[in-house]
Amino acid sequence: MRRQLRSRRAPTLPHGYHYRLDDQDEVNQNYLADEEEEAEEEARMMGVPNLEKEEEEDLVEEEKEEKEVVQNEEEEGQGQPMGNTWWQKLQLINEYLWDPEQRRSLALTGLILILYFLFYASLAAVITICMYTLLLAISPYMPTFSERVKPPGIMIRPFAHSLNFNFNVSEPDTWQHYVISLNGFLQGYNDSLQEEMNVDCPPGQYFLQDGDEDEDKKACQFKRSFLKNCSGLEDPTFGYSTGRPCILLKMNRIVGFRPELGDPVKVSCKVQTGDENDIRSINYYPESASFDLRYYPYYGKLTHVNYTSPLVAMHFTDVVKNQAVPVQCQLKGKSIINDVINDRFVGRVIFTLNIET
Amino acid sequence: MKDIQNSGKEDGQEKSSRGRKDTCWNRKKNRQKQEIKEEPDLDDHKLSSEDLEKKYGTNIVAGLSSARAAELLVRDGPNALSPPKETPEIIKFLKQMVGGFSILLWFGAILCWIAYGIQYSHDPSSSLDNVYLGAVLAVVVILTGMFAYYQEAKSTNIMAGFSKMIPRQALVIRDAEKKTIPAEQLVVGDIVEIKGGDQIPADLRLLSSQGCKVDNSSLTGESEPQGRSCECTHDNPLETKNIGFYSTTCLEGTATGMVINTGDRTVIGQIASLASGVGNEKTPIAIEIEHFVHIVAGVAVSLGITFFIIAVSMKYPVLDSIIFLIGIIVANVPEGLLATVTVALSLTAKRMAKKNCLVKNLEAVETLGSTSIICSDKTGTLTQNRMTVAHLWFDNRIFVADTSEDHSNQMFDQSSGTWASLAKIITLCNRAEFKTGQESVPIMKKIVVGDASETALLKFSEVIVGDVMEIRKRNRKEMEAPINNTLYPACSILSLLQLSIHETDDPDDNRFLVVMKGAPERILEKCSTIMINGQEQPLDESSAEAFHTAYMELGGLGERVLGFCHLYLPAEEFPETYSFDTDAMNFPTSNLCFVGLLSLIDPPRSTVPDAVAKCRSAGIKVIMVTGDHPITAKAIARSVGIISANSETAEDIAKRLNIAVEQVNKRDAKAAVVTGMELKDMSSEQLDEILANHSEIVFARTSPQQKLIIVEGCQRQDAVVAVTGDGVNDSPALKKADIGIAMGIAGSDAAKNAADMVLLDDNFASIVTGVEEGRLIFDNLKKTIAYTLTKNIAELCPFLIYIVLGLPLPIGTITILFIDLGTDIIPSVALAYEKAESDIMNQKPRHKKEDRLVNRPLAIYSYLHIGLMQSLGAFVVYFTVYAQEGFRPGFLIGLRVDWEKDMNDLEDSYGQEWTRYQRQYQEWTGYTAFFVAIMVQQIADLIIRKTRRNSIFQQGLFRNKVIWVGIASQIIIALILSYGLGSVTALNLTMLRPQYWFVAVPFAALIWVYDEVRKFYIRRYPGGWWDMNMYY
Repeated sequence: MRRQLRSRRAPTLPHGYHYRLDDQDEVNQNYLADEEEEAEEEARMMGVPNLEKEEEEDLVEEEKEEKEVVQNEEEEGQGQPMGNTWWQKLQLINEYLWDPEQRRSLALTGLILILYFLFYASLAAVITICMYTLLLAISPYMPTFSERVKPPGIMIRPFAHSLNFNFNVSEPDTWQHYVISLNGFLQGYNDSLQEEMNVDCPPGQYFLQDGDEDEDKKACQFKRSFLKNCSGLEDPTFGYSTGRPCILLKMNRIVGFRPELGDPVKVSCKVQTGDENDIRSINYYPESASFDLRYYPYYGKLTHVNYTSPLVAMHFTDVVKNQAVPVQCQLKGKSIINDVINDRFVGRVIFTLNIET
Repeated sequence: MKDIQNSGKEDGQEKSSRGRKDTCWNRKKNRQKQEIKEEPDLDDHKLSSEDLEKKYGTNIVAGLSSARAAELLVRDGPNALSPPKETPEIIKFLKQMVGGFSILLWFGAILCWIAYGIQYSHDPSSSLDNVYLGAVLAVVVILTGMFAYYQEAKSTNIMAGFSKMIPRQALVIRDAEKKTIPAEQLVVGDIVEIKGGDQIPADLRLLSSQGCKVDNSSLTGESEPQGRSCECTHDNPLETKNIGFYSTTCLEGTATGMVINTGDRTVIGQIASLASGVGNEKTPIAIEIEHFVHIVAGVAVSLGITFFIIAVSMKYPVLDSIIFLIGIIVANVPEGLLATVTVALSLTAKRMAKKNCLVKNLEAVETLGSTSIICSDKTGTLTQNRMTVAHLWFDNRIFVADTSEDHSNQMFDQSSGTWASLAKIITLCNRAEFKTGQESVPIMKKIVVGDASETALLKFSEVIVGDVMEIRKRNRKEMEAPINNTLYPACSILSLLQLSIHETDDPDDNRFLVVMKGAPERILEKCSTIMINGQEQPLDESSAEAFHTAYMELGGLGERVLGFCHLYLPAEEFPETYSFDTDAMNFPTSNLCFVGLLSLIDPPRSTVPDAVAKCRSAGIKVIMVTGDHPITAKAIARSVGIISANSETAEDIAKRLNIAVEQVNKRDAKAAVVTGMELKDMSSEQLDEILANHSEIVFARTSPQQKLIIVEGCQRQDAVVAVTGDGVNDSPALKKADIGIAMGIAGSDAAKNAADMVLLDDNFASIVTGVEEGRLIFDNLKKTIAYTLTKNIAELCPFLIYIVLGLPLPIGTITILFIDLGTDIIPSVALAYEKAESDIMNQKPRHKKEDRLVNRPLAIYSYLHIGLMQSLGAFVVYFTVYAQEGFRPGFLIGLRVDWEKDMNDLEDSYGQEWTRYQRQYQEWTGYTAFFVAIMVQQIADLIIRKTRRNSIFQQGLFRNKVIWVGIASQIIIALILSYGLGSVTALNLTMLRPQYWFVAVPFAALIWVYDEVRKFYIRRYPGGWWDMNMYY
């Protein structure tokens, strides 16, 4: 777009141009006169109501005028009852409301408001209907599509904002929060709770439950004791006090997800970059280092209320101390993908252990 | 002195009307502005040569001394027009970079970088998204800026035309010697000699002249050559005959003159500085676009700041709030719109160029559409700029000659014997000749050597009697003499009688024929008989009376009348061997036989009356502004309809009622003829009154400065003024006008340079085409803007809802750019191809201040009606996409915080756990869905915007094929973005499931239906409340 922002060139004076100084007075006189005129004009402008907003102001103005009139009247005819002023005021408002011009614009404003109200109400109705049909059309038990959430991601516990485990064995303050976090997390896995709520289903096979979609589903037990040394039952510090930390690995729940062909999904951890021997040994609990098939499929939180995500605990029993060891834990299995470039949590998780003694 | 006082008064009044805001500085500026409108104040023409010598310290015979000349040259500078100060290119470029929406986008880009800076300081590994976004915004600004700069660079420099006129060499007398020096070195006081063919090198006060004639048409618009002498014939320096003006041409003769002004101080120089000193007013469309930018920017900034405050008070981190702010700004700014407008304008410009309207300044395309007053120059614009025989008078009757461009049908009676004699005189008593080698050229286009009148007569006789050269050969010329009469000392050719003596072509007749032509009353003086029906009769009272009636009548038509007479010399007194002598005048020059009168006029172009009528019906006032005489001007104005047949001027009424002009009620006169002299004594209020109260106005005898005053007067009436013209004298007015229109063939370079538009075929009728195109593009730009603004709401709502309800972000900033600069561009250009809805040429021009491009109904309807419906549809698609993937609508509310956290096991409404990246991908899918939904509904929006009042079905769904190209482009671009580039993560788009493309279709249909209902009620109740509020 071309914008004209040209510099205005100072014009050259036409040859022999003189200007008279005494013009100045004349100019000023005109100037003043016009000023007055303009003030008048402004005043006139003020008196003309053009929008509904100003009508209210008008009302107020008229009320003011009315007050003045009343005062004058009071000065003249003293002893008039006070009720009269209210009555007059009311009358004035009444007149205002019945004034055809004012009424018309008031009515128009009202009409506009009503029309907009109706318009937006019907729009709201439309979106309500749309949302309602949408919710009707979508099963509450089974998501329509799940290709975005598959393949499953994994997550570790304890997790507090960061995937760097930096702690000093001799300073409990540096690892105490991990222990608290793990304890909290494992409350739901307490043996008593699991035995009470869930069923002990046969391992090595899917726990398939036929029946209607809306029927409540039973969940398989995953007891805290399955985690042995990492259950926090024997060692309430989950090994953090000895520099042999436990880290729990949880696979993200996906409705209807089944590790294919009956092979359970296995977990394996290794040093991501650097010396492979920095970890030296890891103990997995359950010892199979896998998520047993009986925990699949998941039927969704509406019916599968007590579903307990299976866990795999990794016990880093002999990690090199006083240096950061990047660890990558991967899922291995048929329907698992663990090398998505952009997503570092699909089928794998990377964390660092930096244990100081 | 009088006009100076007057101007002081005017000045004061003008200033005071500006009100109390007026500062001292402003007054000074006004005074300066006023000064340039002053007439050139020269009095050198009134001085005697002695006074001149004294004034300029020179000697008429010996000239200046070289030393003195060098001194003066240093003092006054070279005798050349100084080029205007140019804004440096880089400044122009930078101005484009910060104008309009650019400043907002820069702001957005900088915020992006600041946001990244904050992120980086928290976490050095944070993503570069904001840096990219900032870069993208910057690139958008720079690209649009470059585009605009390119457009601006196309417009040309006004000074170029003036510099071309500078003569190269001048013959000057210095140190009592004749020298040829470059004209730039001339100084005041130099004595210069000029001869026929020269351009006058500076403003000259002529000291002696031998048959010198100059062509002043570039200065005054008068096409006839003017004689120059050394006597002061008029108070006005422009009218007097003893001044030769810089850059005009000396046609014939020789003259000596004293340089009285050089360079920028010459009359032409003043006009040139007038033209470049006149600020280029903003075009109406530029004002409209600025207004629109202000509205949109206002909305963007106020919404942005409001929601920034809301976000901060809702305990959002400042960083997030900044990012919201960026989103709101980007959503609100129609990035592609200004470029679209430019393209739409240039499309129209191209279309107009095909119809011979060359548009130099793109924005001028629309200006013509909103034009309410056309100030047209006469010569060359309304007329053919060619003297032509218009009427003949012989046998006591007036005959009308065909004045059309080709003279094809001459209808008058040619059987009379008088005509035969008249034709012979016309043919023989004429010095003009066709240039050789033009046998194949049509007569009217042949180039002729000779002055305008003689040319007209030559062509006239060539058309009617045939081969003039052959006839002249047969009637060999014995002698030729101009007769000067001491009673008429001035060099006007009108008072010159031209006489020649010929042998006759009749071999039996050995008499000589004396033929003479010239000013009618002087011819009549020389005659004693008159030829009626081929018979010579004594010239009695009644025939003299008839002659005078005819002469007055023709003169009253503004025509130049020539008289013709002849005499057969008796063979006894003048035998074949007789030798005629010009100096001795040994032949009779009285008691001739009067044959007839012939009147010449520069006739109007044949297309003009029709075009003027069309302008009238389109509500455009056509005013004639000319340097020519009032009578001629009025006659032409009448013949082209600028003064319509039944309207009268005050003078006409006075004449009809036989009362004094002062007694006529000015309101009764529809038409007015105002001369430059009257205009000079008028205050601007008086001028305003004339402009307001008369619908048909002719300004005659106006100077370039006065043209400027007239244009300003029109502009004070809130009119959009178009000025047409061709001469240098028009160029200041052309520049001052809202749109200057120059003639392409006849126009001078200066005029073409000052103009915004050039009519390549010099056809006034092209203006009508221009008006039509201009009005159409204004309507279509409205549609384009309405179309573009609509989706802003659909782009903005997501941010507002995101902030308030905490949904995952429905549409990303980059995605918004894909809509604004991707799918929406071609459709919005396609609206420029839309045909007019109704007969736009029968409507009044839009009011500059009331009929805005973007008015309240447009903004409200686009934002609060269609825009909201669009966002609704888009949100339905968004919710569908999320619900089907596992996030039901209710679940989404307030999810934002967790959603954006670095959490890799976020539960959805089914208990499934999502990693951060999976959610991110889902979010992009949401973006894509939202984008597609807007795109689909923009198709409906595009269709409804085809018309503003008529039903789409009245307009024809398929008449504008480009719309369909636009729709196809929208779909194709969206398909490419989703399926072709969906895997490029930086674009934040994904491959969308095919069914989602159709979710918004019902909403698109709803939009269409809703708009049809709106238009139905507008048509049903025109002028009603609905019409007032819903018609944009």
